[in-house]
Amino acid sequence: MGIDLNLVGAKGAIAEEAEGKWGMVIDQDLCTGCQACVAACAMENNLSFVGEEDAGYGRTQHWIRIERFWEGAYPEVKATAFQPMLCQQCGHAPCEPVCPVFATPHSPAQEINLQVYNRCVGTRYCANNCPYQVRSFNWRDYHLEPFHANNVDGQLVYPLHNQFNPDVTVRRRGVMEKCTFCIQRIHQAEDKAKSEGREVHDGEFTTACAQACPANAITFGRMDDHESLVSQLAHQDRGIKHLEELNTLPRITYLKEG
Amino acid sequence: MIRNFFEWVMGPMGRIAVLITALSLFSLTAFGIYQTQQPPDQPIEFTHKLHVGLGIQCLYCHPGALRGPSPGLPTQTKCWGCHQQMEKTFDPNFPELSEKLVGYIERNEPIPWVPVAQVPDFVHFTHRPHIAAGLNCENCHGDMTQVEIAENPQVLNMGWCLNCHRERAANDPEKLVKLTDCGTCHY
Repeated sequence: MGIDLNLVGAKGAIAEEAEGKWGMVIDQDLCTGCQACVAACAMENNLSFVGEEDAGYGRTQHWIRIERFWEGAYPEVKATAFQPMLCQQCGHAPCEPVCPVFATPHSPAQEINLQVYNRCVGTRYCANNCPYQVRSFNWRDYHLEPFHANNVDGQLVYPLHNQFNPDVTVRRRGVMEKCTFCIQRIHQAEDKAKSEGREVHDGEFTTACAQACPANAITFGRMDDHESLVSQLAHQDRGIKHLEELNTLPRITYLKEG
Repeated sequence: MIRNFFEWVMGPMGRIAVLITALSLFSLTAFGIYQTQQPPDQPIEFTHKLHVGLGIQCLYCHPGALRGPSPGLPTQTKCWGCHQQMEKTFDPNFPELSEKLVGYIERNEPIPWVPVAQVPDFVHFTHRPHIAAGLNCENCHGDMTQVEIAENPQVLNMGWCLNCHRERAANDPEKLVKLTDCGTCHY
């Protein structure tokens, strides 16, 4: 059996197929930078509002963010396309081998990069080693911060706790977190499909960011199914992968200026 | 200073003090562990033994187990569906029924049952696939015909989950990958 040297990782293990199971395509020509995906992701995944002080330290929690870049020098600057950046669910994730407690393993079943909150001890090595800078750390128990609470007769009442998604863990202090490709929705769809005795079909479910995108710039689906919409979009000529030269095998394809 | 302390400890008073400290620490620990193993107080002293013994199916009161993550705990109206037709419900000799249950019905309040078999927030357990895999309620929750007030027959920890997962998927490597994947329960 021949070994494709492009797929041999730093630890000598042969990485899984470059395509992976789940994939995403982001069309930067369609993206208007409206941040709807950012808001939808925060609602779906119980992301914390960190407050003014911690935001000043750069501790904001976003699993997806919109990056803006400029070309040229003032006054001839030209804004380039908005670039939504989220966890690329690398096939060769740089965050995985640096975790001393194996809290960010690669899921063999879903072929994405997991974060196991109850195993994480908060060394933050993974965030330091992530070339996409998409991991965020819980510096406090943000959901219990008093600035979320109403003071009702001396009792702190947290109205925002009522909108927590019960399918997603509320992260506590001292753990790292990142985009999960909405694994709770993957499980829900797989469970439903299994109870009806069929496979999950393309477009049956999507991630929160893709669902919220008004310009349909984000597409999510099975990459190993070559009939699926996301697979066909990803194989267009204008597809690029970010920091591909690091051999991280990102699962997200960006479409830009074909 | 230190030498004086050691001499005091080795003396009769010191030995008694050490003994009392050790005994109190031990009994406090034992009491703490005992407390964690006690079933919680329920708003109504509902006996599973009687109801399951009468032949009522688990899924009659906990129907969610068949189709979703949570089996659900019965509301006061579900109790009332049977109990309003029973003389015993209104018999003052049974205050759990004639006072508490009738009280919840009259106030139209849901009964605040205390869930007993619980997993932490970071574990996402779903009943449906377990029932679909052919497990019966008593495989995990024990024989409820022998239990008065609901209690846990075993500690619901990860090793216990994984033992069963490994056993049941031993002959199917693909299933084993799925059932031992971190992301199956933790997300």
